[in-house]
Amino acid sequence: MNGCIVAFCCEHSAYPAADLAGKLRLHYPENLRVIRVPCAGRVDVIHILKALEKGAAAVLVLGCEDGACHHITGNTRAKERVKYCNMLLKEVQVDGRPVAMFNLSPNAPHKFVSAVNEITKIIKESGR
Amino acid sequence: MEPKIGVFLCNCGGAINNIDFDAAVKKVAKFPGVTCVNLSSDLCLEKGREKMISCIRGENIERVVVAACSPEFQEHIFREVLEKAGLNGHLLSMANIREQCSWTHDGDVTEKAVELVKMAVNRVRLLQPMEKKELPVNREVLVVGGGFSASNTALQLSRVGLRTTLLEKEAVLGAGTEELESFYGFDTGSMISAVEVDKNIEVLTSAQMTEVGGKIGDFSVRIRQEGGEILRKYGAIVLATGHQTELALDSEPQLRAEGEAISGLNIVSQEQFCCMLGNSGLETEPKTIGFMFDFSDENSRFPTLTTLNNALAAKKKWGSEIYVFCKNVKVDSEGMEKLYREARDCGVVFLKSEAPPRITAENGRVKIEAKDVFLGEDVILACDVLVAEELYLPAEGAENLSSLLSIRRDSKGFFQDENVHLYPVGSEKKGIFFIGGCRGDLDLGRVLTDISSVVMKVHELLSSGKILVELEKVKADPQKCVACLTCIRVCPHGAIQLVRVDGSKEVAEISDLACDACGICAAICPAKAIKFQGYRDEEILAQIEAIQEL
Amino acid sequence: MESKNVLVVGSGISGVASALELANAGVSVYLIEKEAVVGGHSASFCCKATDICSKCSACVVFDKIKEAVIHPQITLLTNSTIKKLSGELGNFRVEIIHRPQYVDEEKCIACGLCTDVCPTDPKAIYSPFAEATPFSYILDEGLCLRFKGEKCDLCLESCPTKAIEFELKAKEQELSVGAIIVATGFDVFDAREKGSLGYGRYTNVLTGLDLEQIFTREGYLRLPTNGKEPQNIAFIQCIGSRDEGHGYCSQVCCKYAMKLAGLIKYQNPDTQVTIFYIDLQTTGKGFAQFYEKYKESIRFVRGVPVEILQSSSGELEVRFEDISQGKVCRDNFDLVVLSVGISPRKNSWDLARILGINLADDGFFDKKDSLSCNETNVDGIFLAGTCQGPKDIPDSIAHGIAAASKAMQMLAESASRRRGN
Repeated sequence: MNGCIVAFCCEHSAYPAADLAGKLRLHYPENLRVIRVPCAGRVDVIHILKALEKGAAAVLVLGCEDGACHHITGNTRAKERVKYCNMLLKEVQVDGRPVAMFNLSPNAPHKFVSAVNEITKIIKESGR
Repeated sequence: MEPKIGVFLCNCGGAINNIDFDAAVKKVAKFPGVTCVNLSSDLCLEKGREKMISCIRGENIERVVVAACSPEFQEHIFREVLEKAGLNGHLLSMANIREQCSWTHDGDVTEKAVELVKMAVNRVRLLQPMEKKELPVNREVLVVGGGFSASNTALQLSRVGLRTTLLEKEAVLGAGTEELESFYGFDTGSMISAVEVDKNIEVLTSAQMTEVGGKIGDFSVRIRQEGGEILRKYGAIVLATGHQTELALDSEPQLRAEGEAISGLNIVSQEQFCCMLGNSGLETEPKTIGFMFDFSDENSRFPTLTTLNNALAAKKKWGSEIYVFCKNVKVDSEGMEKLYREARDCGVVFLKSEAPPRITAENGRVKIEAKDVFLGEDVILACDVLVAEELYLPAEGAENLSSLLSIRRDSKGFFQDENVHLYPVGSEKKGIFFIGGCRGDLDLGRVLTDISSVVMKVHELLSSGKILVELEKVKADPQKCVACLTCIRVCPHGAIQLVRVDGSKEVAEISDLACDACGICAAICPAKAIKFQGYRDEEILAQIEAIQEL
Repeated sequence: MESKNVLVVGSGISGVASALELANAGVSVYLIEKEAVVGGHSASFCCKATDICSKCSACVVFDKIKEAVIHPQITLLTNSTIKKLSGELGNFRVEIIHRPQYVDEEKCIACGLCTDVCPTDPKAIYSPFAEATPFSYILDEGLCLRFKGEKCDLCLESCPTKAIEFELKAKEQELSVGAIIVATGFDVFDAREKGSLGYGRYTNVLTGLDLEQIFTREGYLRLPTNGKEPQNIAFIQCIGSRDEGHGYCSQVCCKYAMKLAGLIKYQNPDTQVTIFYIDLQTTGKGFAQFYEKYKESIRFVRGVPVEILQSSSGELEVRFEDISQGKVCRDNFDLVVLSVGISPRKNSWDLARILGINLADDGFFDKKDSLSCNETNVDGIFLAGTCQGPKDIPDSIAHGIAAASKAMQMLAESASRRRGN
């Protein structure tokens, strides 16, 4: 799996935002693969690492806005795990492949698209 | 035995024109476990679904993948289709090849579509059936508090056939209704009588909660009364503990410095002023009255209301000169602007300043100095009575209650986290609600709305005496659980508790009633003991496996 | 015949909240909406989160509408209005007229082929907006060639599910319900009524609603005239509130203005934002957190301007009284946003007459008395949301839930009385 961006999308925020982006015919790179999760807090470090192990160019975790998580603390947990992942990757010197968390609302399709475009730009700039 | 997987693709009436469906069908048919691939143009219509049902039956399909539009609007419909075809509705996985594929990319997206189908196929292979069941719940409601909000909630709950216990820590009901009585002619006495004669309401006074356990439908509450302790069970708990006010003397540093001088001066609270108004035996009627609000605390709806009402009443009763010092008049409640205009029309003067006024004592009168924004000058007022600014605070014991219930409060200490999804009256734990002043700065209209809202919410939950749940959707495997308590600590909904199994071992048990299926526990469990059906590690990892592995 | 069904009139957030509560409690609900799409005004509001949620609740509206549209206990009747009402609590008979819906929403799969082939400009058949629910296309009789007497079958032929049908007339239906919840919402104050502010004349004078819709559609703010990023924006509060014809505070404008200002500053920290106000309504749950963060970066000026002029360079000159200096000033802005208020619907008269309910002095529907929150003068008819008075989204939801509650309570009591309990 080289070149794909794996995006874990929370079903309350990012997934509907991605759908809205589709309805609005907003475009983003084709190499995005969305995995729907009930809450960003469901995403475990092992999921992120497995995606990278299989060759993902980047991993995104997308959840609700800070303070608006349907499960109160899910998005905060996800943020911590993403931070932890990045720290691990740096320690084993496998950084350079971005793992990032974005927060958005279900009615914010533009934010979804910017998140994907931003990561795509970072990937290009790091020469992969 | 590998389950037989049927894949149903839909081309949206032929409108999806950037996927080569023929090629896609050929590739999908080769996926391991896929025994049947079907292309339709109208899976969302009755016709298309009928065909799906006969295909499932005819081909003995055991797992279904639907590759079409978003599951957001259609998933529950396809689950019903599976049920009609004789399969458990959960043995379904959807691939979003329209909104998240065809519509967002230019050019041919067949490869991505096929990959999305593969991800769904990999997941569906591992899915387990899930059963639904109705679990019984206790229909009794505990309302903590004994004032206007609590009593009216109990009365309304009674109208819909639910029994309530009113738990009041004071010796009598009806605290905090003075303003309602004087401004709206509210009759506290008849409210209390109504509560006392209501067969569905039990009143416990001089009583407090000392311990709360359990979950929605089954809360166990230990109540301490004068005679001793009792243990009761309730299906839901409503907190209506109100608020308290405190004179904001912090904004009057000079006054505090003068210490003893305060007691000689007439600086009163709104409630005390209300009593003065009602006191026919008042020695001297104040000729000049000052009011203050909105400097220390921006959340001043209630202070605006009481100030306007008290000012108008004083004007009408005594004809005094009345000056109100504030930063902004908070009129964003029903009827407030009208009241504000009425007050001004009656001659009440409003002086707006950015900084809090300086309060000092002079010749036994209260001197107020403030820079009025409109005049651009300092205004100095010597008044007989100052109704000082009050802070609107959570009721006494709020912190204690919040730890008893393990429930979050907002940044000002009022109940209910500021998360918008909890509004109007919910908490992060199913079955626990907050209404009225204890949740923050409300006005009468909002309090009335809160009361009726919570009655509806509780009625919805408890009236039938049972709640439909998905059995063991999230479950901790007792064999693997090491009782580290991590899941119990992180569950935002308080749905997990430690139980004893097999007579000796203690393991985590997730309540089907209280669980809100977020999966935070499943991610954090160090022993990987928690299984979240549909989102187990293997089900997520299987989707990752499918990406570009063609 | 006694009925336990409930009719909810209006599918804005309040109506939807009422309908959902009742539906979840097992009641059969008819949700009737006069437009072709569900959701009312708040469905087009944008998310105003900066780095934290700003508690605007626009996303809650989004979620609730989705839930209502797929709920099995809710029957959605769009393009429909009430013609006549008879009966009483527990036993109302409501005559409904359905305007012809030329695109059958049951059959429409929103593929967009019809819009592609439609020859008119603007298109006579279209999808109202991406968040529209039901996500079905609608035909505008006023634009369609067929209704002008011309022959055109293009959309008819292109539709893969044969969802378009022209030979339709208005239909009537009688519903039997036990209670009625009126949730007809509000009219946005027409800023053109304040002619001197230039709305409708100057392109860069917008209303708060316009701004919401721009953010929803585009995701960011650009000047309508030249597409550039605005550098200097003014918000003017109390347009259509707390004035001659409106003796009330609309409750939402200070908050939405500040939250929009916060969003603008977050996206572009160099943009200057000024808010002209009378009394700043910094109240409500969750507001303090937001205000603390943004109050320093927004310039607040007491005093509402009454005149805006456009200079030859296109800049907007706002004339206002600077109260702190005690004189009239003129400041230039490249964009002015008028924070328009909530007005009662102009057609409330009609509905009030049909249902037999009263209007209050300010034009909103009247409550029974000061200690009721949803009841009207007619037993069994309740009010939900802004049709009863200005409210923000959380309050509208709460009011809708309260209306559902009152309806249930009244129906329960009425049934018990009939049984002779």
